[in-house]
Amino acid sequence: MYRRSALAIAGIILVLLLAAGVGSAESPKYGGTLVYGRGADSVSLDPINVTDGESLIVTRQVFDGLLQYNEKNTSVEPALAVSWSASKDEKVWTFKLRQGVKFHDETPFNAEAVKFNFERWKDPKNPYHQGAFEYYSYMFVQGETDLIKSVDVVDDYTVRFVLERPLAPFLANLAMTPFAIASPAAIKKYGADVGNHPVGTGPFKFVKWDHGDKIIIERNDAYWGGKPCLDKVIFRSIPDNSARFMELESGSIDIMDGMSPDDVKIAEKNKALKVILRPSFNVGYMSLNMEKKPFNDIRVRKAIAYAINKPAIIKAFFAGLAEVAKNPMPPSLWGYNDKVKDYQYDPAQARKLLAEANYPNGFETTLWAMPVPRPYMQQPQKIAEAIQADLAGVGIKAKIVSYDWATYLDKIAYGEHDMCLIGWIGDNGDPDNFIYVLFSGSNAVPGRASNYSFYKNPKVDELLVKAQTVSDVATRTKLYEEVQQLIHDDCPWVPLVHSTPPLCAKKSVEGYIPHPTQSESFRNVWINK
Amino acid sequence: MRGASLWRDAWRRLLRNRSAVAGGVLVLVLAIVAVAAPLIAPYDPLAPSLGDRLSPPSAAHWLGTDDLGRDILSRMIYGARVSLQVGILAVALALAAGAVLGIVAGYYGGLPDNFIMRVMDVMLAFPSVLLAIGIVAVMGPSLGNAMIAIGIVSIPVFARIVRSSTLQVKSNEYVEAARALGASDARIIFRHVLPNCMAPLIVQATLGIATAILDAAGLSFLGLGAQPPAPEWGAMLSGGRAFLRIAPWVTAFPGIAIVLLVMGFNLFGDGLRDALDPRLKR
Repeated sequence: MYRRSALAIAGIILVLLLAAGVGSAESPKYGGTLVYGRGADSVSLDPINVTDGESLIVTRQVFDGLLQYNEKNTSVEPALAVSWSASKDEKVWTFKLRQGVKFHDETPFNAEAVKFNFERWKDPKNPYHQGAFEYYSYMFVQGETDLIKSVDVVDDYTVRFVLERPLAPFLANLAMTPFAIASPAAIKKYGADVGNHPVGTGPFKFVKWDHGDKIIIERNDAYWGGKPCLDKVIFRSIPDNSARFMELESGSIDIMDGMSPDDVKIAEKNKALKVILRPSFNVGYMSLNMEKKPFNDIRVRKAIAYAINKPAIIKAFFAGLAEVAKNPMPPSLWGYNDKVKDYQYDPAQARKLLAEANYPNGFETTLWAMPVPRPYMQQPQKIAEAIQADLAGVGIKAKIVSYDWATYLDKIAYGEHDMCLIGWIGDNGDPDNFIYVLFSGSNAVPGRASNYSFYKNPKVDELLVKAQTVSDVATRTKLYEEVQQLIHDDCPWVPLVHSTPPLCAKKSVEGYIPHPTQSESFRNVWINK
Repeated sequence: MRGASLWRDAWRRLLRNRSAVAGGVLVLVLAIVAVAAPLIAPYDPLAPSLGDRLSPPSAAHWLGTDDLGRDILSRMIYGARVSLQVGILAVALALAAGAVLGIVAGYYGGLPDNFIMRVMDVMLAFPSVLLAIGIVAVMGPSLGNAMIAIGIVSIPVFARIVRSSTLQVKSNEYVEAARALGASDARIIFRHVLPNCMAPLIVQATLGIATAILDAAGLSFLGLGAQPPAPEWGAMLSGGRAFLRIAPWVTAFPGIAIVLLVMGFNLFGDGLRDALDPRLKR
C-alpha cells in the first residue's frame, strides 16, 4: 500500500515535471517582428469605410470595438464594453464601458467617444461622415430607416442604444471588425484622410503605410488586454501567389495568407513550414447583374447555372480544400437549407433554356474576375477561364475583364458588370450577415451595393426583416431556410464554392489562430526563436 | 541589270552565311507550322479538360497540359500563328507609316522635316515597351490594340532610316537629271528614292519583327495583349508562372518557342544586313 502510493507520488511528480517542461516551451516569448504576406494591399484603414478583408485584418490590430468574438468562433465577448443589458422588448441596450483605456494619441476612451463614432457613421449630415459607410448600412439600415434610433451618453462610462425595432443580431453585429471605435480627436484632425491615419485603442499602433507595398504597425505597450508579444507587424502585399510562397520559403516573410491550394503539398514537405487551415466560413460565387440584359431573364440565369461544371472546377482548383456551394451561406452556419437541390451540370438543358429565352445561339457578354487571390477563391483568373470555356460550350461568349482591386470593388458596387466573380466571408456568425447583406433590396443601392446582382424580391425582403426582428433561433432558422429556397429558384447568382483557406507559416510562428471571419487579432501571436 | 545583280550578289552572300541560313530555316519552319496549324495540332487549343490538368509531357500530350488541361503543343502551334501575325502586321504598319513620314521629311526638308523628326525624337525618348503599355492602356487591352501599339512605337526607327536614305539619294546626280527632265516628285520618289531605301528597310523590318514578337509577348504576359483563352505564347508564359514549381513545362515550352522564333528572325536579319550592306562587299 505504502509502496504503491509512493510510486503514485513519484509518477505525479514526473508528470508535473514534464508538464512544467512543456509549459516553459509553450510560454510566449516577447519581441520580434512578424512579416505577414498577402495578395493585396488594404483599400483604406478607416474600418467603417471598407468591406475587404485586407483592410480589416489591419484595422483589427489597431482598433477595438465595443465587443469582440472569441478567438476561435463567433461567440461574443467583452472588448471596450465590459457588460451590457437589454430592456424587455430588446429595443434599449445599455453598455458599461471599460475604464482607463486610452487611444493611441493619448486621448481617453469614454462614452462620448462611442457616441461620436456612431453619429459619424449614422448621420449623412455629420461633418465627419465622409465615405460610403457600407457596413453600417449593410447591418443597421433597412431601406431608409436607421435601425439605431439614438446613442446616448448616460455617464462617462455608460452608453445607451435605442433601436427602432428589435434586431436579433445586434450584439453579433457590434462585435464586427468594421464597428471599431476610432479616436474622435484623430477623426477631427485628419477628416477625410483618416483612412491613412488610423488611431484606435488596439494592441498595435499604426506606424506607416507605403501604398501598394507595406503597412507597418508596432506594439501598444498600454494595451488594456495585456502587452502583445510582437514588437512589430509588417503587412506586405505580394500579389503573385507563387512569388509570395517563395518569399516564405526563403524566409523574407513569416506567414502568408492566400496560399494557392496547389502549393499545400510542397509546403507539407518543407520541415521549416506549417500549413494552417482557416475554418471554412465563406462563399465564392458568380453574380449575374439582373439590371442588365439578358440577365433580367430568369431562363438565361438558369441556363448559366446549368452550363457551369462546378464540381470539375472545384476539384481542379482547390486541391480538396473546398466544397461545391449550392446555397449562398456555408453549411457550418445555422439556418443552412440542405434541402435545396442544386442545378446540376447539364449543357443540353442550358441550351434549351437559352433557346426559350430567344438566344438560341447564345450571346456576348463580360465576365469580371478579381485581380487578386481571395480566401474564397485563390485563383480567380483561372476559374474565370474555366467558366468562360463552360459558357462557350453553350454558345455564350464571355470576355474576361479585370481591374485593380479597389476599382473592381467600386465598379461592381455601381453595377457596371454583367457577370462577376466575388465572394463573401461571414463577419459575425449570423445568417443575416450573409443573406440580408447579399440579397436584401436595401443593399442593392448603386454605389454602396453588396447585393451585386441587384436582386429585388419583396417576399425575400419581408422574410429577412422578419428574421431580424424575432430572437427565437428555431423561428429564424425556418425563415432563412425559406429565403434560401426562394433565392435558389430566382437564381440571381451561381454559388460556386465554400473554401477552406490555407495559410502557411514558418514553424517558429506560434499562437496564430485563424478566425473564421478572416480578421484575427495578432495580440497573442509570438515568435519562437 | 545592275539592280538584279545586286540582289543576286546579296542572295549568294546570304547563303554563304551559315547562321543566317539557320535563322531563315527556323523562321520558315515556324511559318509553315503556323499556316498548317489546324492540320497538325493534335487537340483543340481552347478546349479545357480539367481532369487532365497539369499533366506532364506524355504520349498523349507531347508537351503536357496547362492548368486548364489544355494541350500545350496544340496551343503553341496556334500560338505561332498569333505571334507571326502580330509581328508581321505590326511591322507592316510601322513600315508604311515610317516610310511615308521619312520620305516627306527627307525629301521636302525644312518645316515638315523639323516637325516630323522632332515628334519621332519624342517617341524615341520613351522606352518602347512603356510607350506601348501607355497606348494599350488608353485603347483597352486586346491583341489587336497591342499590335497597333507596337506598330506605333516602331514607326520612328523606320522613319529615320527612310529619311537618311532619302537625303543621300536626293543629292545624287541622277535625281537631279530626272528633275531636269521634268519628272514629278511622285515619280522621283517611287522610281529613284524608294528602291534605294529597300536594303536597309528589309533588314530593319526583319529585325523589327523579332522585336515586335517579343514586345507582343511581353504585353500579353502583362495581360495587356492577347486575352484568355487565346493561345498566345506570352500569355501562356504568364498563365503558367503560378505553377513553375509543380509544372515547369507549362512555362518552359512557350518560353522556348519565343526564343526560337525571335532568334530565327534576328539571325536572319543580321545575315541580311551583312549580305545587303555594300560596304561589306569583298
